[in-house]
Amino acid sequence: MDNLELNDVRLINSGSSKRLRTYFASPPGRLAAAVAIAVLSVLLFLTLNVKAGWEFTLMFRGKKLLTLLAVAFAISVASLLFQTLTQNRILTPAIMGFDSLYMLIQTTMVFLLGSFAFSDFNVYGKWLIEVSVMTGSLCSLYLFVLYRQQQSLFVLVLVGVILGVFFHSLSALLQRMMNPTEFTVLQDALFASFNAADSHLLILSGIMIAITCLFCFRMHAVLDTVALGQPIATNLGISYKPFLLLTLALISVLVSVATALVGPVTFFGLLVVNLAYYLAGTSRHRYLIPMSVTIGVICLVAGEVILQHGFSFNTRLSILIEFIGGLFFLILVLNRRFA
Amino acid sequence: MIKNSWLVVCSVMTFLIWGQQAYGQDETRSVSIEHAQGKLSLSETPSRVVTFDLASLDTLDALNVNVLALPTKSVHDRLAKYSGKPYVNAGSLFEPDYETVAALEPDLVIVATRSSPSFKMLNSIAPTIDLSVWGEGFIEQFKDRSSTLAKIFARQSLYEKRLKGIEHKIAQVRSFSKDAGKALIILTNGGKISAYGPGSRFGWLHYELGFSSVLTSDDPEQASNIGTHGDPVSFEFIHEANPAWLFVVDRDAAVGSARGAARALLDNPIIKRTQAYQSGQIVYLNPMNWYVIAAGLNAVDESVTEVLEALQKSVSQK
Amino acid sequence: MIRATIGGGLVILALVFISLVVGNTEIDHNPLNWFGGVNDQGDQDLEILTLSRIPRTIALILAGISLSVAGLIMQMLVRNKFVEPATTGTVEWASLGLLLCLIFAPGLSVIIKMVVACLFALFGTGLFMLLLQRIDIRSDAIVPLVGLIYAAVIGAAIAFVADQAELMQSIWVWIQGDFSMVLQGRYELLWFAGCLGVVAYITADQFTLAGLGKNMSENLGLNYTLVFIWGILLVSVISGITVATVGVIPFLGLVVPNLVSLIVGDNLRYALPWVAVTGAALILLCDIVARLITFPYEIPIGTIMGVIGSLLFLYLLLRSEPHGQS
Repeated sequence: MDNLELNDVRLINSGSSKRLRTYFASPPGRLAAAVAIAVLSVLLFLTLNVKAGWEFTLMFRGKKLLTLLAVAFAISVASLLFQTLTQNRILTPAIMGFDSLYMLIQTTMVFLLGSFAFSDFNVYGKWLIEVSVMTGSLCSLYLFVLYRQQQSLFVLVLVGVILGVFFHSLSALLQRMMNPTEFTVLQDALFASFNAADSHLLILSGIMIAITCLFCFRMHAVLDTVALGQPIATNLGISYKPFLLLTLALISVLVSVATALVGPVTFFGLLVVNLAYYLAGTSRHRYLIPMSVTIGVICLVAGEVILQHGFSFNTRLSILIEFIGGLFFLILVLNRRFA
Repeated sequence: MIKNSWLVVCSVMTFLIWGQQAYGQDETRSVSIEHAQGKLSLSETPSRVVTFDLASLDTLDALNVNVLALPTKSVHDRLAKYSGKPYVNAGSLFEPDYETVAALEPDLVIVATRSSPSFKMLNSIAPTIDLSVWGEGFIEQFKDRSSTLAKIFARQSLYEKRLKGIEHKIAQVRSFSKDAGKALIILTNGGKISAYGPGSRFGWLHYELGFSSVLTSDDPEQASNIGTHGDPVSFEFIHEANPAWLFVVDRDAAVGSARGAARALLDNPIIKRTQAYQSGQIVYLNPMNWYVIAAGLNAVDESVTEVLEALQKSVSQK
Repeated sequence: MIRATIGGGLVILALVFISLVVGNTEIDHNPLNWFGGVNDQGDQDLEILTLSRIPRTIALILAGISLSVAGLIMQMLVRNKFVEPATTGTVEWASLGLLLCLIFAPGLSVIIKMVVACLFALFGTGLFMLLLQRIDIRSDAIVPLVGLIYAAVIGAAIAFVADQAELMQSIWVWIQGDFSMVLQGRYELLWFAGCLGVVAYITADQFTLAGLGKNMSENLGLNYTLVFIWGILLVSVISGITVATVGVIPFLGLVVPNLVSLIVGDNLRYALPWVAVTGAALILLCDIVARLITFPYEIPIGTIMGVIGSLLFLYLLLRSEPHGQS
C-alpha cells in the first residue's frame, strides 16, 4: 500500500505550483479532503429541506446525527481492527454472527416477556443485558477457538459465521412460536433504525465509543506492526497474544454497543474499511483509523441525505447499505483484493 | 423544552382562533381522554389530524372526519382514496416521518398497536393519543376507542347510530351462531396455514360473535392459550378438528399480493372431507378488515355483516 | 457390511412407519388393519394414508435423497468438504427467482415458477463457480466462507426486493422448508429430483474423476468441462425443485456426506447409496420431530434442520480442523 503513496506522488509531482495537488495526494491531504466531505454532508444533513422550523429540526436531526456518528465510529474502528488482526479484507465482526446473536437476544426477550412488556422494559436494563451478553459471548468464542487453534483465523471466522446461522435458526424457532403482532414488534426492533435510538442511551454509548476509539487510536503504531503478521510482530517485540485478546475485547465492546444502539448492519464495516484502505493511500493506522471513521460518517450521513431527499425508496438505510455492501464484497472478491 | 414551547404556541393559536370563532360558537368544548399511554385534554375540536392507526382512520372515515396525513403507502382497498393527494404521507406505520409531522403542526396525532412505540417521540411534537386494541374484549375496546374519537370530534349522534346498527347485527349473528356448530379460523400466508383460537387477534369471532371453537381443551388454563399465536398446522389438523365453519383470512391478499391463493390452497381432498366444505360453510373473510384494520368502525360493521350474511345464506339453504 | 445394510434398512423402515402413523388424525398402529375394509375406521385410515401420510413420507425421502446427493456432487466439483447448495448461494438464487415470480407474475403455474427457480439457481451457482476461480484458495475454510457471504448478499437482495413489495413476512414463510402442506397431487415434481439423484448415481464415476481436479482428470481422458457443467446443472435443478415445492432445507447436503465419509470413506460409488439412505433417514427424523414438538401444531422442518444442521456443521468443522489446515 505504501507503493500507492509513492506512485501517486510520482504521478502528480513536477512543478511546485502543483504543491496543493501533491498535498491532496498525500495521506494527510486525502484525510483532510475526506473530512471536508464529511463536514459538508453533515451540514447538508442538518440544513437541507427544513420543513418544521429550525428549533425542532436541529434538535431532531442533531440527535439522529449523533446516533449516526456513534455507529460510524464504532463499526468503522471495530472492523478496521478486526481486519488488521486477521490480515484479511473480507472479514468483519458483523459477518461473524454478531447480528444473529443480537437477533437471538432480542427474540428471546420478546418471547419471554411478550411484546408489550418488551416495549416497556427498562431500556437501560435491556441495553446492559444486550451489551454484556454480546461482549461476553464473543470474547468466550474467541478464547475458545484461539486456545484450540492458535494459528487459524479462517476457521475462527467460519465458526463465527456458522454460529451466526445457529443463532439465526434458534431465533427463527422462537419466532415460530410468536403471534404476528409480537413478530411486528420484533421486526421493528431488529431492523436498524437510525431514528429510534434513545437519547440517554445515546450519550452513554457515545461516551463508551469515544473512550474506546481514542484508546484504539493511541495504539496505532502497535497496530501497524501487528498488521505485518504474528511472526514479524513477535520478532519486533510485541507480546502478541495479550495484545490480540485486548483488541478483541475492544472490538466486542464497540460492536456490541453499536448493534445494541441501532440493530444489525452486516456489511457496513466491510464497505467502510475497504474504501478507507483504497482512499487513504497508506496502510499506517495513524491515517487509516481516522479515514475509516470519516468514510463511515460520509456513508451514513450522506446516505441518509440521499435517501431522504433524493429517492422515494420505501426502504431503510440499513437494507440499502446491506445491499450495496454485499455487491461491494463481490467486486472485492472478483478483483482479488483480499487474502 | 420543545413540548413547552409547543404548548405556548398552541395556546396562543388557540386563543387567536378561539377569539375569532367565539362568536359563532355556542359553547367551548373541553374533552379529556384517557388512553393507553396517558391522558390528554383538548379544549378544541382538532382540525389538523395525523393518524398512524388505520383502525382510527377507518372510524374517522365513517364519522366524516377529515385527516391531514397518514402512512399513505399502507392503505389499500376501501381506504385506497387515502393513498394519494390531498393526503400527506406521514411515513410508515413503524417509522413515522417526524419532520413532516412537525411541519404539519397537527393538533392531534393518533397511534395504536404497531405505531405505539412512536408515541413518546410524537407526543413531544404534538398532542398524541394511543388507541391500541389488545387482547381480550375486542368489541369493548373497539367501542371505547371509537367512542373516544366520536367524542373528540363531536360526532356522537352519528356514532351512536352506527354502533346501534352494529350491535343489532351482532345480536342477530349470536342468535344464529349458537346453534351453528363449531368454527375454526385460519390464516393463510405464503402458502402455509396457521390456526387461530379464541385467545388470538381474530378470537372475537368466538367470544363476541358466539361461535364455539374447535380448539378447546378441558383444562381452562390450556384452553386460553390454544392457537393464540397463529400456530402452523397441516391440512390433517383441519380434517381432524372437522369444523362446521371454516373462516379463512388470506394474509397475502391483505397486503396486496396474489388474490385467490387461499382458495387454491384449500382446494384439496382432505379439506373436502370436512363438514365445513360439505355444507358450503367455508367463509373467505375480507382480509383487509380482519387482518389490517380490525377495530375500525366501518371494518367491524363490514366484518359482522360478512359473518351475518354467511349465516343467513346457510340457514336459507337448509 | 451385510449387517450394516440390514441395520440401515431397519432404521429407515422404522422411520417410515413412524412417519406414516404420526399426525393429527389417529391411525391404527397395526398396518394389517389399514386394508381390507374391516371397518369404517380402516377405510378412513387408508384414505388419510394415501392422501396425506404416504405423499408426505415419499416427499421427505425424495427430498432427503436428492439434497444430500446434490451436496455430495457439489463437494466433489468444488473439491471442498464444506459446501452444499445452501452455502453457495444456489438456494438463495432460487428463492430470489420465486420471489420475483410472486411479485411480477403471481398467477404463473407451479411448473413455470419451478423452472424460473431452477434457472436462477443455475445462474447463481455458475456465478459462484466463477467467483471461486478468481480467488486464491489457501484454506478449507475460505470456500464455505465465501459461499456463505455470497449467500448472505443474495439474502440482502431478497430483503430489499421483499421490503419494496411489503412481502417481508410472506417470503420467509414461503421459502422456509416445510412439508406440512404436502398432499397427494402437490409434491409429485419431487419425483423428478429423485430421478436426478439416480442419474447422479449412474454418472458417479465421472464426478469421482472430476474430483481429482481439472488437470488430473483430463489426463485420465475426462471431458472435465462437460462433467462440471453437468454436475452444476444437476445440483441447480435439484435445488430449484426442492425450494419451489417444499422450501429451503439447510445443511442437509453438507452434513450427510460428511457423516457418511467418516464411516464408509470417500469412494463415491460406494458412498452414494449410503449418502442417499442417511439423507432420507435424517430428514424423516427431523420431520417427525417437527410434527411432534408442538403437537398438534407443526414447526417447519427448515427451522429444525437449521438448528441441528449448524450444530453438526460446527462439530465437523472443529473436528476436521487439525488436518484441514493447509
